[in-house]
Amino acid sequence: MRNWLVGLLIVGFVSVFGCQPPDKNTSETQTKVQKELKVAVAAPYTGGSAAFGEMIRRGAELRENEINEAGGINGMKLTLLFEDDAGKPSEASLVAERIANNPQILAVVGHFNSDCSLAGQEIYDRAGIVELSPGSTAVEVCEGSSWTFRNLYHDGFQGKFIAQYLDNVLTGIESVAVFFDNDAYGRGLRNAFVAEAEKIGLTLVASEAYERDSTNFKAQLTSIKAKNPDAIFISGLYTEASLIVKQGREAGITAQFFGADGVDSPDFLTIAGSAAEGTYLTTPFTFGAGGAEAQQMAADFEALHGVAPDTWAALTYDAVGMIQDALTKTYNAEATIADNRQAIREHLASLDTPEESYKGVTGLTYFDINGDTVNKPAYVKIVKDGQFVAAEKQLRELK
Amino acid sequence: MKDKLTPKTITFGLLVCFLPLLMYGVDDIVDFLSQYDIYLGWPGGEYMLRIIVRACVYMLLAVGLNIVCGFTGLLDLGYVCFYLIGGYTAGILMARLGVSYWIALPLAVLHGTVWGLLRGAPTLRLTGDYFAIVTFGFAELFFRIVRNEQWLVGAPNGQLRGIPSPTLFGITFSQNWHNYYHIIILLTLVIFITYRLQHSRVGRAWVAIREDEQAAESMGINVSRYKSLAFAVSAAIGALGGGFIAQFQVSISVPFFDFWESILILCMVVLGGMGSIRGAMIGAAILGSLGEVLRPGFIIPYQFGNARYLIFGIILILLMRFRPGGLSLKKA
Amino acid sequence: MAQLLEQFINGLVLGGIYALIAVGYTMVYGIIQLINFAHGEIFMFGAYLALMLVTVFNIPFWIAVPASMLLCAMLGMLIDLVAYRPLRDAPRLSALITAIGISLVLQNLARMIWSARPQLFPTETLPAFLISEVNMQTGEILNAIPLPGGGILPYRDVSILLLAVVLMIALNRLIYLTKIGKAMRACAQNRVASNLMGIKTNQVIAVTFAIGSALGAVAGIMVGLSENITPTMGYYKGVAAFAAAVLGGIGNITGAMLGGIIIGLAEVFGAGYISSGYRLAIAYIIMIAVIVIRPSGLFGKSTANRA
Repeated sequence: MRNWLVGLLIVGFVSVFGCQPPDKNTSETQTKVQKELKVAVAAPYTGGSAAFGEMIRRGAELRENEINEAGGINGMKLTLLFEDDAGKPSEASLVAERIANNPQILAVVGHFNSDCSLAGQEIYDRAGIVELSPGSTAVEVCEGSSWTFRNLYHDGFQGKFIAQYLDNVLTGIESVAVFFDNDAYGRGLRNAFVAEAEKIGLTLVASEAYERDSTNFKAQLTSIKAKNPDAIFISGLYTEASLIVKQGREAGITAQFFGADGVDSPDFLTIAGSAAEGTYLTTPFTFGAGGAEAQQMAADFEALHGVAPDTWAALTYDAVGMIQDALTKTYNAEATIADNRQAIREHLASLDTPEESYKGVTGLTYFDINGDTVNKPAYVKIVKDGQFVAAEKQLRELK
Repeated sequence: MKDKLTPKTITFGLLVCFLPLLMYGVDDIVDFLSQYDIYLGWPGGEYMLRIIVRACVYMLLAVGLNIVCGFTGLLDLGYVCFYLIGGYTAGILMARLGVSYWIALPLAVLHGTVWGLLRGAPTLRLTGDYFAIVTFGFAELFFRIVRNEQWLVGAPNGQLRGIPSPTLFGITFSQNWHNYYHIIILLTLVIFITYRLQHSRVGRAWVAIREDEQAAESMGINVSRYKSLAFAVSAAIGALGGGFIAQFQVSISVPFFDFWESILILCMVVLGGMGSIRGAMIGAAILGSLGEVLRPGFIIPYQFGNARYLIFGIILILLMRFRPGGLSLKKA
Repeated sequence: MAQLLEQFINGLVLGGIYALIAVGYTMVYGIIQLINFAHGEIFMFGAYLALMLVTVFNIPFWIAVPASMLLCAMLGMLIDLVAYRPLRDAPRLSALITAIGISLVLQNLARMIWSARPQLFPTETLPAFLISEVNMQTGEILNAIPLPGGGILPYRDVSILLLAVVLMIALNRLIYLTKIGKAMRACAQNRVASNLMGIKTNQVIAVTFAIGSALGAVAGIMVGLSENITPTMGYYKGVAAFAAAVLGGIGNITGAMLGGIIIGLAEVFGAGYISSGYRLAIAYIIMIAVIVIRPSGLFGKSTANRA
């Protein structure tokens, strides 16, 4: 009997609270003046991609410290909430709902994995909150939602760029082999590269896959070697690429290795060691070309965390900066959370020409109608004496 | 399940029926508190509802796996492959071929059942861990097929986007509370069928096979047929869960269906108590939401943000240490 | 032909590592019928502990290897004592769930202690002959045997293979020639009866965990030498090694060794000649085929009827 009464009480009590139509939006929430502004940074802090999440977190933390030391955003403290998606889309959709449903979070920086960005997209879109990815390069990530942005170029551009660079800038490259990570990033980039390579007449002699997190590539490398390509394009992340280069040189491969933005990490040099020498890679920015600000950021990063920053640390640093910029210009303490979220989106969407762009350590960022970063230059770097240096010849214009 | 309409069951039933309202009530409390800036990082109602829907999907899967693991006593390490088959069959039919959800879902279940039988056929003779590793191999194979065969889905990594929400009489069921009632109906159906099977001739035959296969055979039970039936029913339930999750998630990709999911569902069944429908559901309710409950900001402070799977592991160890027979059993 | 030889060697080296891990699975299984899912994580801990000894405590590599083996043996015994022993008489799958729990704990612990970024043994801490590389400009090969077709077989890989063989033989002798080995075999046959005969079964099981974990640690260090060390490294290798153990007939040590080599070769040849996207899946298909034909694995006894 008691259970029955208690149950009825609970149901009754909560139903009174819940009498509004269930499809109501959080927009009705009236937020009073806040002392802190909250922004979520969603990335894989655990699981197989945790190495990337770690750098994203560090980049974001550096920016957060700088902003708050400089007096915050219009006097309000910026608080970053680090939400873990474990690199799994099933968790990412829950994280997205968690963030979208939190009436204090103004914007999201994330996710890293393209799968995760896509899993969250529909939810962010429904809730009306900006998703600004510093790491998802799959072509589709920004399609289909006006709330999704990213501050790096997508695989379609990068694949094309690399194919043209190999063909036009490097001499003596006739045949190429692709060695790709068998997931959204690696396969997407490979598809774009292969399409362009076929168009411009590079001979594709081999296309081999590997699994994320695997560490032994000798079987595939041996069969690539038998095809004797002039260059090998590694479409994957540094965690595996470093071992591929190392094991490839051990297997007697003398071909030119070429990597994409996923390879751009100080850890690539540490793990590949002397085998990394002469490897080319494209990257959305270089600390050298980014000017004094980028150098300063790299130095500050190292002072704070004791390691050198990589691409994602810098991109996240910029992404948080873009949100800060948007908040500084648009945040209205009297407005509703939904209006504030909308204002951030409008501000990001208004960055659509080089003149209007956001200038960060990774260069100018501005968006096309989808929310994709356009014309962010790709730099080509080469490993020389154990360091990344800008390659002598750069490719400025795509055909 | 023996109990009739006692106050307890009525309360429970009412709670199940009004859960979304309850969750949106939580939302109102959260909104109310946040006006005074005493918001403590509570999860919102939509989010909690989504966790509940996902936990319900896990309940469905756990009940399905329980048929093979609990009733017939075979260790299935690759249950996720039916989840995957169901998810992709329904997903591809709906997103790429424009088939209605109400047709795609039964087709997905049918497809899952066929593979359940096909996988079952060569493994009928196998016992214990040899069965386990074969099921694991199968799951791995399906995972690779979707990942590698790009023509199947049309995108790398099995990335299937834009799966439409089901519509009926002009209403589109895309909200979380729609999905909640949707999965509750499916779950009730599955529990009803499983319960009836368990308490029928078939269920008794399964238990007989689990206890002693040779004795069962000598008593005139057609072991192969009953085992195959168990595989088929179990696979059908898995595929049903997959079909549901495809429209619920809108976009799916292969990492949804990795080995960890198989392990997680197995943990739910064992944790709740093997061979008990109620146990499987209790296990699924706990483990299906534990990963989210342990997120920082709820009961764990933000400083310990990345420790949640560590705590998850410790809880698993402790639960098994103190309730080795499963939670649903009174005594070990 | 040169390619075939190279792939064969690749497969052997990989298979040797699998075999070492598989032995740990199979030994534990043979005695307490437990699939020790945490074994892959012990393998990972072996690599990290050795790395920590070498880099943080500046211990020479030669001492770090046995030290790491010892630490891992202790870790294995500790896990058995804390987590598995209370469940000795519980349903078998309960211990399996405990093993999964331990695996989660160890993996996350490693990530929190040593960070998720991949790491390597710094070259200056390693004995010189383990560092093999080919100089791109001069074509000079250091510490390696040149192979026909341009590849090299590093001394490192040769030592991995030799060490694996030596350890396997030592283990074999231990099990068939020593008193503790005899006790282990007795426990594997019938634990209750062994207990009645005066064998301290709990001690025997602890020793089994210790030996299995020590071998896992060696395998972890081997992988750390030629590949890299990450908190998730235990998963892939662990699963493949588990498959190897089952393929050989779980509970059978010779079977596990052979199973490891077969899985290693199947994986490499599958990836090299059939399709690299299906790399491990090909190994699993072969495994499934073998098990369907021989339902108790290659060397298993056909009496197993448990679940």
